[in-house]
Amino acid sequence: MVTFPYHNKSIIAAVFLISLALLSGSVYASNQEASTSGTGPVCGNGVVESGEQCDAGGSNAACPAACSASCAINSCGGGGASGGGGYFAPSETKVIFSGRAYPGSRVTLLKDAQITAQTVADSAANFRISISGLSTGSYIFGVYSEDNQGRRSSLLTFPTSVTFGVAIEIGSIFITPTIAIDKSQVKHGENIAIFGQSTPEANITVSINSEEEFFGQIIADANGAYLYNFDTAKLVVGQHLTKSKAATGGVVSSFGKAVNFTVGAKTVLAQSPALPAKGDFNHDSRVNLIDFSITAYWYKRVNPPASIDLNGDGKVDLIDFSIMAFNWTG
Amino acid sequence: MNSKLKIKRYLIATFMIFALLPSATLAAEINIDTKNPELKTGEQFTTAIFLSTDEGINALEGQIVFPPDLLELKEVQDGDSIINFWLEKPRIDSPGKIIFSGITPGGFQGNSGLLFSMTFQTKQSGNGTITSQNVKALKNDGVGTPIEITLPNFQFSISKEVAVVIPAQKEDYEPPEMFLPEVTHDKNIFDDKWFLVFATQDKDSGIDHYEVKESRQRLFSVFDKWVSAESPHIISDQELRSYVFIKAIDKAGNARVFKVNPKSPLMWYENYENWTIIIVGAFAVLFVTKKLWRKKRT
Repeated sequence: MVTFPYHNKSIIAAVFLISLALLSGSVYASNQEASTSGTGPVCGNGVVESGEQCDAGGSNAACPAACSASCAINSCGGGGASGGGGYFAPSETKVIFSGRAYPGSRVTLLKDAQITAQTVADSAANFRISISGLSTGSYIFGVYSEDNQGRRSSLLTFPTSVTFGVAIEIGSIFITPTIAIDKSQVKHGENIAIFGQSTPEANITVSINSEEEFFGQIIADANGAYLYNFDTAKLVVGQHLTKSKAATGGVVSSFGKAVNFTVGAKTVLAQSPALPAKGDFNHDSRVNLIDFSITAYWYKRVNPPASIDLNGDGKVDLIDFSIMAFNWTG
Repeated sequence: MNSKLKIKRYLIATFMIFALLPSATLAAEINIDTKNPELKTGEQFTTAIFLSTDEGINALEGQIVFPPDLLELKEVQDGDSIINFWLEKPRIDSPGKIIFSGITPGGFQGNSGLLFSMTFQTKQSGNGTITSQNVKALKNDGVGTPIEITLPNFQFSISKEVAVVIPAQKEDYEPPEMFLPEVTHDKNIFDDKWFLVFATQDKDSGIDHYEVKESRQRLFSVFDKWVSAESPHIISDQELRSYVFIKAIDKAGNARVFKVNPKSPLMWYENYENWTIIIVGAFAVLFVTKKLWRKKRT
């Protein structure tokens, strides 16, 4: 029987293992920045995702780096209040967003119109998202949220100039309330229910636009839900729109999305769930780069499909893109 | 008394109109700016186009016009633009005319948002103007309402004095931003074929171009050639058994590569590279074993 010294066995094993590694593709994967939709958090991509405390991209490492290789915040040094000998990590380039949305709602952060991070607001509707690994330059960040019925808020944008080594905090963001109505057409003189969600106990102002603008106020419940019944006897027959804003703790949101309704001779209940947002051509409940690409294909071409021509003027031009940009979700 | 009252009311109304006029007309403005409007012949200078607006604007298009007998456009930089997606990247459409159009989802509201910048070289002495025209800006209101926009000109003068041309050295070591390409299909385009969408930005020099390659092999894909591509890009392998690689390259040559995994990957035994690795590995093991066995015998 042939026997080999220990180091020779190691050589054979190494050759075998290398072959296996090549087969599994693990060596290959480390040389590529793989990106596929639907994957979990990726530590080292510079984006703080669910389950990560931090992510400084290629700067993830042991102390003195602020963020560890496993995307947990490093505890470097221990100088404490007395100071002596403690290590203080330099500021990393990052932007922190915080504010109020809806209790338990999903908050989405867009970086230059593409989803970069998501988080869930706590029971008091507070949220906080941090992203790092950014280049020096100008970014358009966007924040929106979805309420417990899947209705989306307006997209709030924040043009931000990022500087290397500087942490920027954008706080006191107040996501606009969501809004819906129970009737798309209401018989003149009947009530229309206007409802949605905001922060708990927020003071909600509902505006009904007509020749004369009407305002109503109501306090949201402990879950942030609000319901305002409006008597349409005050309105003339025709098209109207309603929108809402919220105030709490001295902070006032801007008005959110407006919804249209008609006052007429009969009542028609509103569709539930609501129709896909304008611009969601592939009906994936998102308005994003895919929809932009579909629209861009028809830009200035003749006879575009009616579904792509958002304002129905027989052509795809800048107005159609503006409508899509308004409904953007990333 | 009545006539005096009428005059008074007229004056108040006139005052109110003029008092309100500036805020109405200054709702949005496109500025053309440079450090020094006094130029020398042969000098290179950079001019930036900025948008300032009191109301959210999410779509913008227009033209920048310059005297082609006085200026030569050397480069357009859009790396740090507030425009997230271009419909028409700023480019020369005809002599002396640059066209552009694009969108900012959610809208831009603020002062001096950079649209893009242009580097010119002066050709000869003279006075000239760079103007913006046919600019259309649409509100972020869900219906695309046009917004009134003011377009101040930029005037410059070129002296006969010849400038010493020092090529600008740009430092850009950062690759383009991370991005998430997607493979999808839709009945409205490309006859429902699968296509790839992608977009990113580079904050320094700007994106130069994209390249794409498809390969059913993981390792041997290094031997496949990159081809220039624009989004949306029709996938060659409509069976979706290939890895799709997308490379974004900035104007300084930095690149970032992403891979989209196939929706229907080959089974391991269908992929010839796996068999190649197995055979090579087996030969390697055999070779080492044989060599060690001989060594043992001697």
